[in-house]
Amino acid sequence: MIRKLFLLICLSGLSPLAGATGSSLVATGGITSFEGTAGGGITPWAMIAGYGSEEEIHGTAALQQLDLGEYQLRTFGAAIGIYDRVELSVQRQNLKVGSGITSNVFNLLTQGAVSTAPGTDIEQDIIGLKVKLFGDAIFAQNSPWPQVSMGAQYKKNRDFDTSLPLSDGSVPLPQTGVPMLLGATQDSGTDFYLAASKLWLGAAWGNNLLANVTARMTKANTFGLLGFESATDDSYALEWEGSLAILPSPSTAVGIEWRTQTNRLGGLAEEKTVTDFFIAYFPNKHWSLTAAYVDLGNLPFDDKASGLYLSATVNL
Amino acid sequence: MKSFLIVILTFFALLSGCATQPKQDLYSEIGGSATLSKVFGLAINRIYNDPVLGPHFEGVPKSHLREMLTEQTCALIGGPCEYTGKSMQEAHQERDVTAAEFYRLVEHVQQAMRLIGLTYEQENRILAALAPLKKDIIYQGI
Repeated sequence: MIRKLFLLICLSGLSPLAGATGSSLVATGGITSFEGTAGGGITPWAMIAGYGSEEEIHGTAALQQLDLGEYQLRTFGAAIGIYDRVELSVQRQNLKVGSGITSNVFNLLTQGAVSTAPGTDIEQDIIGLKVKLFGDAIFAQNSPWPQVSMGAQYKKNRDFDTSLPLSDGSVPLPQTGVPMLLGATQDSGTDFYLAASKLWLGAAWGNNLLANVTARMTKANTFGLLGFESATDDSYALEWEGSLAILPSPSTAVGIEWRTQTNRLGGLAEEKTVTDFFIAYFPNKHWSLTAAYVDLGNLPFDDKASGLYLSATVNL
Repeated sequence: MKSFLIVILTFFALLSGCATQPKQDLYSEIGGSATLSKVFGLAINRIYNDPVLGPHFEGVPKSHLREMLTEQTCALIGGPCEYTGKSMQEAHQERDVTAAEFYRLVEHVQQAMRLIGLTYEQENRILAALAPLKKDIIYQGI
């Protein structure tokens, strides 16, 4: 599926029909976050996906991969930007959990009786909606106000109750997925966020400077990949996210991001603040590439969950 | 919601503070009105040849537009000029310029600045002065 999509993206990128990607200026659409929303790598921005102006409808398709060793997160999806006002997005996330991790899980559960188990996948679907409320992040250079958008992300974990098999194929804990084992009580949840973004032309020694702050209300554990809520905490928590980037050339952005998490489950599923350092390259309005070093802080049995993140966005 | 607004306003106000530091004399750095006139001469040629933008400028003499844009930009970047032309709202009143057309025009001006040899840093600082005109240019038709 991912291969097919990638092929489709490559073909559309090469197609002469893909000449029109929208009128907005290069790089102003940002990139696509791993949750499918236009933004940075790990956080939504107030910008609407694609290069469409107020009169146009355009979109993006994107792929992301985060290599964490025993964990591999692969995500892909598409977004459509309508009249530079509304953004709709769909995203599939796939977290590959290595057998080293699942073996540790069974080792712990059975107090050493079972010490090996095959790896597993945790998949999640995200449907996103974003609406620009006010402001113009790029052209309102004489105003202190950023562009502000409001958004929602409905997330459905597809493996909330997918049982882990042992190496012999037996299933000791039927209908109990990794999120349930770790204490999550719901398989879906909806995040609500407000994002404020602003670009200052020429502000950093003549280079453009971009800042974004996002406030998110969420019930998710590790972005929803480890389910939603817990037995003792089913209420929304407020989390903060931000990006700060400098554009040292018309086609390059370099920056840092952070994202706080609730740590509702604790224990093995302890959540820490996510940070990254990224370089994005926008050769033209057809596509962009981003490389980042992402530090997720902690994942079960991996207290140094960090690695290389690669992301490609094609503008349609 | 309230704390969100306080945080973002403080954050963006702080950054704006950095961003609005008095600029080094950009006007003399780029070579004054002579350079601006070259930039707009080139940009206007491109704009008049553009199939989408060209029709908007039918009947507007190139030399007049060039003079007005040079004067206006000179004034906006702190040069010793006074803009004597029409206000942006007035000048675009019957045109109903779309955002897409506005961005297209900006791209021609950007290209012209690069072709004339202005640096990326100078280009950004000039655009910063021109960008706020967007809201007075697009959709001014009644």
